[in-house]
Formats: sequence, structure tokens, C-alpha cells
Amino acid sequence: MAATSLQNYTLVITGAPYSSQAPQTALLFARAAIAAGHTLDRVFLYGDGVHLASSLSAPPSDETHWAKEWARFLKDNAVPGVACIASALRRGLVNESEKKRYELPASNLLEPFIIAGLGEWVEGTMASSRVIYFHAGG
Amino acid sequence: MSTLIVIDQSPYGTWEGREALDMTFSLAAFDQSVSLLFTGAGVNWLRKAQTTSKIEQKSVEKNISAAPIFGVKAIYADAKACVQYGLGLDNMLAGVAMAENSAELLHEHTHTAFAG
Repeated sequence: MAATSLQNYTLVITGAPYSSQAPQTALLFARAAIAAGHTLDRVFLYGDGVHLASSLSAPPSDETHWAKEWARFLKDNAVPGVACIASALRRGLVNESEKKRYELPASNLLEPFIIAGLGEWVEGTMASSRVIYFHAGG
Repeated sequence: MSTLIVIDQSPYGTWEGREALDMTFSLAAFDQSVSLLFTGAGVNWLRKAQTTSKIEQKSVEKNISAAPIFGVKAIYADAKACVQYGLGLDNMLAGVAMAENSAELLHEHTHTAFAG
């Protein structure tokens, strides 16, 4: 494959794990993209997609733990994973600082995900050559 | 870069449309060229005089009316979908352009994002 055809992707995941296929389809895409020499600028979790960044999901042991799988992939490949703050706060996904700000009883953001604004998505659309959306569908 | 945000879901049954609208305003806030296309059941966003107090949701009318102020370039409604849902210029919010050919509209933009 010619070097000129290599892409820098931003992935946007809006479907939640365990209610949609979106996070696992996105992960398979991400692995294939890296394997083919492409790069990932960032992964942005939006809407129900923010549930992927919860440290409190505990699926049965014979099922894939999509949050952990994604977290490992992001760490291994040094790809930033960002959960939209407005989507996250509505759905009960908070880091330590938001926990303190809203005086909530717990925080549950899985490393290496971070929480930030939609500006991160805008930057992704500007910085990457392709933006791919993974929706719940239906 | 120019982005077309496509909303094809009715305004109150799901949250995806609202979050797509937030994306639209966010692009505009960063001075990026962005327009909205309402199609399918999504054209109902553009209906005049929506009353939502009984379902305890905020009407989306204000959000749509604010779009030009926030720097959203254009609001399009798919003409065929408007016919299907009984919408015309008389019962639609002001400032909406009818799109006879949505496919053409998609080609005019470098980026497209659909609501969930």
C-alpha cells in the first residue's frame, strides 16, 4: 500500500456496550487500521458511547469485557480516549474532579479515558483525514 | 472543511438528535462551517408551536431558532419528508430551506455526521 493512502482516523462511538455492537465493531476497526499502518488521532465517546469508559461494568467472566479491552488497546497504542463531558455527566460517568464539583458519592472513569468537551471532537475532525462514526443503529 | 449534520429522528423519542445539535453548535463555536439537514421523521424538529410541557421536555424550537445566531450556516429540510409529514413553509419554523435533492447536499460537504 502506498504511503500516501495511509489515513489518520478519529473514531466516534455513540453506541453503548452490551446494548449495541458499536464499541466492538469500532475496536475491530481500530485494530485493523493500526495493523494496516494507519494511525488513530483519538477515540471520542459520545451519547450512550460514554458507558464504554465506566470502571464499574462487570460482565460475566465468559463474556468479553469491552471497556477493559478498549482501555488496553488505547494504552498499548498510545491513542487518547475521550468521553464527552455533557454526555458523561447526564449518564453518571464521572472522574474525580467532577465527583467533587457535583458532590457525588463516587467516581467511575476507567483509565486511560479522560473526560473533556465536544471541542475534542471538533479538533479530531480537523486533525484527522477521516472521521468514522459507530452508532447503535436500529 | 464543511460539515453537514443529518438529523433523521423525531425530536422527543430519543436523545440522539439533541446530541447531534450540540455537535452542530460546537463546530459553529469553533468557527467551522456547519449546516443542518433534517430528513425522515427528523423534519418534525421544524414544526411550529411544539408544546412539550406534558412530557417534561424542553421544546427544541428555541434551539433551532438560535442556530443562525450561533453561526450555523444553513438549515435544510428534505422536501419529500416534509410532504410525508404534512409540513410546509406555513407550519414550519422560519429560516429553513427546502432541499429537493439531499444527495447533492451531501456531496457539497466534506464531512457528514448522522445523529445516532
